[in-house]
Amino acid sequence: MSEKSKEFWRWREYRHTMPNMDWHDAKMVTAGVDIGSVGSKAAVMLDGELYTYAAMRTGGVSEETAVKAMNWAIEETGLKTEDIHYVVGTGYGRVNVPFAKRTITEIACHARGAHYIYGPTVRTVLDIGGQDCKAIRCDEKGKVMSFLMNDKCAAGTGRGLEVFADLIRTPIEELGKTSLSVQDEPQPVSNTCVIFAKAESVALLRQGWPKEKVSAAYHLAMVNRIIDLLTKVGIEKDFVVTGGVAKNTGIVSRLERNLKLKPLEPKLDPILAGAIGSALFAKALYEKEIGLR
Amino acid sequence: MTEEIFQQFRDWIDNRHEYAKEWKERTNKKIIGYLCTYVPEEILYAADMLPVRILGSHEPPTVTEPYIFAMFCHLCRDCLAQGLKGRFNYIDGIVEGQSCLHLRQTFNAWRLHIPTNFAHYIHIPHGIQNPHAIPYLAQELAKFKKTLEDWTGKKITNEGLDKGIKIMNKNRELMRKVHEYRKLDNPKITGIEAMEMVLSSQMVDKQEHSKLLNKLLEELPNRNLNRNPGTRLMIIGSEDDDRVFMKNVEALGATFVIEEHCTGSRYLWDDVVPSEDRLMAIASRYVNRVPCPSKDWPEFTRIQHAVKLAKDFNVQGALVIQNKFCDPHGIEIPPLREALKQVGVQTYPLEFDVTVPWGQFRTRVEAFLETLTGLEELF
Repeated sequence: MSEKSKEFWRWREYRHTMPNMDWHDAKMVTAGVDIGSVGSKAAVMLDGELYTYAAMRTGGVSEETAVKAMNWAIEETGLKTEDIHYVVGTGYGRVNVPFAKRTITEIACHARGAHYIYGPTVRTVLDIGGQDCKAIRCDEKGKVMSFLMNDKCAAGTGRGLEVFADLIRTPIEELGKTSLSVQDEPQPVSNTCVIFAKAESVALLRQGWPKEKVSAAYHLAMVNRIIDLLTKVGIEKDFVVTGGVAKNTGIVSRLERNLKLKPLEPKLDPILAGAIGSALFAKALYEKEIGLR
Repeated sequence: MTEEIFQQFRDWIDNRHEYAKEWKERTNKKIIGYLCTYVPEEILYAADMLPVRILGSHEPPTVTEPYIFAMFCHLCRDCLAQGLKGRFNYIDGIVEGQSCLHLRQTFNAWRLHIPTNFAHYIHIPHGIQNPHAIPYLAQELAKFKKTLEDWTGKKITNEGLDKGIKIMNKNRELMRKVHEYRKLDNPKITGIEAMEMVLSSQMVDKQEHSKLLNKLLEELPNRNLNRNPGTRLMIIGSEDDDRVFMKNVEALGATFVIEEHCTGSRYLWDDVVPSEDRLMAIASRYVNRVPCPSKDWPEFTRIQHAVKLAKDFNVQGALVIQNKFCDPHGIEIPPLREALKQVGVQTYPLEFDVTVPWGQFRTRVEAFLETLTGLEELF
């Protein structure tokens, strides 16, 4: 791909299977499929432990994406979709997962997935997804107590970052690091709308601002908007970030600095929280189905 | 029979303009459009006229921009749009009772830009907690009565006022009786049905509406909805006639068992207590009724009413809706949510506009239902 046509927004799609696990040994094989507005994730769990997973871009047809994500997750494991006892769909496309027996919102799934990834001390989950952002308060079991979502615009979300990565021609995985390379934090750009923020960033670039400084202004705008949402729902320790944007150091470190609160370090890719949460719900639902609950 | 009654309510709403035109032709009487439920319909019935509430159509407004500020609420813009599009061309006049600046602007723009034979603005006091509010309003009502008399050349008699009070009280009483069936563990009417009952009452001849309510009350004891009521929800907020939203939420496994807004219980909760001075009696009702937040100060009395409703109707959770840019309702949201929290009722806020983004709202409402009752057994 030539430099000119390079898609800087494109994040790495991948799959992974845990070594030393065999699905043949499991009593319960459950799965969660999280069809987000930008990314789709599938996770398979064996008796409640993460076994295999995949994360990829959501395509135009959610049903097809759900099948692709699941097939990719179980690729080379010998597992077939019909071997999975229970599947729960979540995310924007949750109603479009053809093999799911039930749907549960991504809000409940992210809280439960965060509980799995970060442990039972989690009380506040910030899920920054492709086109929305959710601040979730949960209890020691990962059950949602209250939540709030951003209104209307994708400013403050992953899609906004993708648009910005293309604008400053910096790979999205390096965007956060780039924004942290400036000495002094500039004033933030507008945070009410992705398009306004982009337009303002274009103006700053034309004024001769280096792209690192514009990136810092863009990240700060996002963080201010996210903090506004978090403040409304109330922040209680431990605090964690999930969703694709949790991997952006420019966002996470600014959240830490401005909130004076360090988010917990994830032991797994936090983009998987929704899929893991739904797979855990699938386990509970299967237990209920076979009379174990 | 019950289904036919609810179908009639729906038909009245869907064909409101046809109904009104036919009513006018049939009776040869005048129709008055009103914007806010602070307009005392008793006096219009006393004058032998049909009051009909002007409401929006939930289509994106395309014609109001030159006449009304874009950051006024969608209701006031949507109502004006109906007038500008000529959909209320059968009304003989328009009346507004002071509630908020936004609807006042609708009234003024209507008066200036839409041909109307009669326009009257009733200065309903804002200081309803002031001891002088009732006599003040009685004077305003006397002015309104005289203006109507001058316009029609016909006296509004005490007998006429008694008739108006009776028509309104009867309709409200019957709708309150129907509301009793919403208190049951398995309510005999859904939230959307209740909404359509109240909305239609604001659009058709109350006497005709009451006849149907009487039939409904005969049928309801034997009705079985054959549906799991799911989570018992309350909806609280500004004017709300978004039927699609109500229907969609109830399809997710919930029932709206009560609402606190002016297209719901707030419209029908209080009666006129008849007395010798009819205008004082009507004024008392409108001053002492469950207030719109635009008038509910310095004390927030409506909040206690909402809490009582939540308890009486055994509510599990409440959706607190705010029409975008409706400041009076916005002011009350923090103390309202706190008061409901104190009695164990969780709330979730939603901002309404001309149309609602159902995709996003669905996720929020579903997640709210999950937090209330849906997933407990899975932990």
